[in-house]
Amino acid sequence: MNSIIQVKNFTKKYGDFTAVNDISFDVEEGTIFAFLGPNGAGKSTTINTLCTIFEKTSGTLIIDGKDVTAQKSEVRSTIGVVFQDSTLDAKMTIDENLKMHCVFYNIPKKEVEERIQFVLNLVDLLAERKKLVGALSGGMKRRVEIARGLIHYPKVLFLDEPTTGLDPQTRAHIWEYIVKLQKERNITIFLTTHYMEEAEICNKIAIMDGGVIVAHDTPYALKKEYTKDKAYITTEKGPELEQLLAQYELKFIKKDGYYKVDAENINPLLQVLSLQKEVITDIEIKKGTFNDVFLEITGKKIREEA
Amino acid sequence: MNTVFALWKRGLKAFIRNRTGLIFSLIFPFFFVYVFGAIFKNDFIDNPIAYMLSGVIITTVFESSLNLASATVDDMVSGFMKEVLVSPARRIAVAMGQLLSAATVATVQGILILIIGLFVGIKFTTWTTPIYILFAMICVGIAFSGVGLFLATIVRSGQTFQIVKTAITMPLTFVSGAYIPISMLPNALKYVAYINPMTYATAFFRMIVLEKTNLSTAELVKEGLAIDINGFIVTPFMSLAIIVAIGILFLILSTNSFVKTDFSRVNRSSNDASALWG
Repeated sequence: MNSIIQVKNFTKKYGDFTAVNDISFDVEEGTIFAFLGPNGAGKSTTINTLCTIFEKTSGTLIIDGKDVTAQKSEVRSTIGVVFQDSTLDAKMTIDENLKMHCVFYNIPKKEVEERIQFVLNLVDLLAERKKLVGALSGGMKRRVEIARGLIHYPKVLFLDEPTTGLDPQTRAHIWEYIVKLQKERNITIFLTTHYMEEAEICNKIAIMDGGVIVAHDTPYALKKEYTKDKAYITTEKGPELEQLLAQYELKFIKKDGYYKVDAENINPLLQVLSLQKEVITDIEIKKGTFNDVFLEITGKKIREEA
Repeated sequence: MNTVFALWKRGLKAFIRNRTGLIFSLIFPFFFVYVFGAIFKNDFIDNPIAYMLSGVIITTVFESSLNLASATVDDMVSGFMKEVLVSPARRIAVAMGQLLSAATVATVQGILILIIGLFVGIKFTTWTTPIYILFAMICVGIAFSGVGLFLATIVRSGQTFQIVKTAITMPLTFVSGAYIPISMLPNALKYVAYINPMTYATAFFRMIVLEKTNLSTAELVKEGLAIDINGFIVTPFMSLAIIVAIGILFLILSTNSFVKTDFSRVNRSSNDASALWG
């Protein structure tokens, strides 16, 4: 597959402080790429440099074959950006916002109407196009921004926390649009998020911490590597269970009222369970979550900022 | 070119949509005409209403064009400028669009007051006067839009900016001869008036509105249309030159500064009053 974003040895310093320290990664065309990390990890710095807002200190950043530093204008035409904070003109209607964007991106006049219809249809806002942006709800505004970010048919769409601060229903919808986009138009989507369950929808994930990339793989591979399934068992006869678990070489931790048992190997566990079926009162098996991956890698709990 | 035009249209639309602001911007000047016209009725002004109106019109043009500063800061705070920043649109075109729309809005406001003024005391005897007036308003509008844009590019915080702006514009308008004739100001304030660009804009504009272009220099000084700085006479022509010079200076400064500004700097979170100016 073709790498649409290539970052090699990118470093960004603010005075003495190194925000991003010599990172390299590629993003394949037509995939959804998630960029994760605690606040201050260097995510925003990287994304802003890719979007031509910040200047790099050293390294090469290439989008669709164009150098981010030397060919700013070409890169800007290639990318769409949806910032975390609204960048819409609240005093104007959806239509006017989109038309203004078309002017900035030199869209031929005769295509403007067709494109507005296309993008608004995509985010289900065609009926509201004459409404003032200031009068829209937070979720609608975000959808307008996504529509606007797409109207010049970018090859790469940057979404900085596209669902932060939205209700679960709207978040689900936004994700629908994002996945639809990727499938229908083969757009590469580069996003950051604080919601771990959302990261799992992506094709590839890079986790940043302290200015470096600490993990870069598919969500499946990361989960497999960094999480373990656990069984939570409650029993009437604790000592017996302990003895059996030890016998079958299953690691466990005794907690207040229950046992937390390593459930990676399901067979020995089933053996133990069947031997103890008379006395076991409750069992719950928990799959490893992406939060676990994150905690395992960065060693701190990610904050879900609203 | 498209960018310039689109932003120009955007500015005009915002102006037309803000009905309340529009109405107040028309009422306010006449309030001043009424109050100051009554206070400063004196011998050397033969048409006090027209005299006051000319000052009020140019003040309105001045304030309205300086409003570009607030409008641009608003655009930074709302994030709109960030959208501009990541687009391939040329920054210089964006600056031009903003400048032209502010200058146009300012001129339109001036014209509106002038039209009402025609019913209450301003009279033209030649057809060239309105053309000169329009020309003067556009000059002042563009010059001070440049100042406004420049202020916007050096501002640090959106919230306190409004207060600072008022603190600057109020004295500039009051010590310009627009409301209060400079000859009536205390000596110290006279010197403030001499370095105030609005003084020259007012004198030049007033001369055109009152159709006193053919008066001698001595008569112009007597009527307060030429400024006598301890014997050095600033003629209306020199006043125009001053405005044009300020205009060119700030157009260069502001576009230059606008191209380099980091618009992501001013945002919702920066409300620290002490960090207002960079």
